[in-house]
Amino acid sequence: MHLTDDQLNEYLDDESSEHDAIKTHLDSCAECAARFSALQTLFAKLDSLPDTALSTNLAARFLPDRKQIPQLPRWLTLTISLQAVGALIALALAAPFVSMLLPQAPSLTAWLFEIQTLWIAGLDAISNYQLPIAQLPTYPVEISTLFIALAIVSVFWIFGNGFLLRNQRK
Amino acid sequence: MNAPTDRDLILRARRGENTAYSELVTRYQTSVFNVCYRILHNYFDAEDLAQETFIRALDRLHTFDLEREFSPWVRRIAANLCLNHLEAQKPSAALDEDRDEDKTQSPAEQVEVKERSEQIRAALASLPPHYRIVIELRHYQELSYAEIAAELNIPLSDVKSHLFRARQLLAEKLHAPD
Ligand SMILES: [Zn+2]
Repeated sequence: MHLTDDQLNEYLDDESSEHDAIKTHLDSCAECAARFSALQTLFAKLDSLPDTALSTNLAARFLPDRKQIPQLPRWLTLTISLQAVGALIALALAAPFVSMLLPQAPSLTAWLFEIQTLWIAGLDAISNYQLPIAQLPTYPVEISTLFIALAIVSVFWIFGNGFLLRNQRK
Repeated sequence: MNAPTDRDLILRARRGENTAYSELVTRYQTSVFNVCYRILHNYFDAEDLAQETFIRALDRLHTFDLEREFSPWVRRIAANLCLNHLEAQKPSAALDEDRDEDKTQSPAEQVEVKERSEQIRAALASLPPHYRIVIELRHYQELSYAEIAAELNIPLSDVKSHLFRARQLLAEKLHAPD
């Protein structure tokens, strides 16, 4: 009697209850030994399958910490939304009264014309402005002190931004 | 400073520290992805399912037994998710088989290895889902017959018959001269 496929499989899986009997048979039967080695080859092929590299980082999705993101409390978010809705309603209600308060409401083109005139007048004023050179006020602080102060402020500003960025990335 | 153990990371992740959980994901993403890739034989689906695996694992982290190892646990979750995925889309599964041939950018001397593994992957993909899963659990996750039966909630006799039949089919596919 030759070994069954089931016996060979169980033997190779190390789940056989007749381990010794099978081993003895394999040692003496070339036919079963050949079937056994074919199955072993299959096992080896499956084992040889290499891992494939992953092209994306799945971990990124699980950052940042939920705990560290300051979130507005629920009641505040709700209040803000309600306020916005209330303001829109108030605006809609007030619009007719406002237009009544403006007796001679000018047309849109008249409005635009007015704005244009003001703009041109403003540009004129700027282009005609003469710098009163002689009357520059004498600054009470040394110019170098001013530069130093400016540098200090810049340094603080840069560091401040750095800290903000770091907190965000955590 | 030593790297934190998996156990430390799990405890911290349970307290809501996402940095700890993302470190766990970093450690095991390749192995989980490869479980999915072996079963699904599609690179992009495998990535999706690997991501899904870690989301599920995070949801169930409170049920994880700290005396055990994290890696086998998460790989079993992956295998189960992939099986569900395959069974949900059974009709089109065969059509996806060679959709992922484009991921081979390897040096020339590795081409042969690549071809041989592609042969194995294609053979695996040709199996029905419930055969693929027993091969995965037995050969790549090294579970015993009894453990596979418990994991898949099927009788021990089914584990054996699926596994032995799957091997027979694989042997026929891979027997072709190389
Ligand atoms: Zn024999």
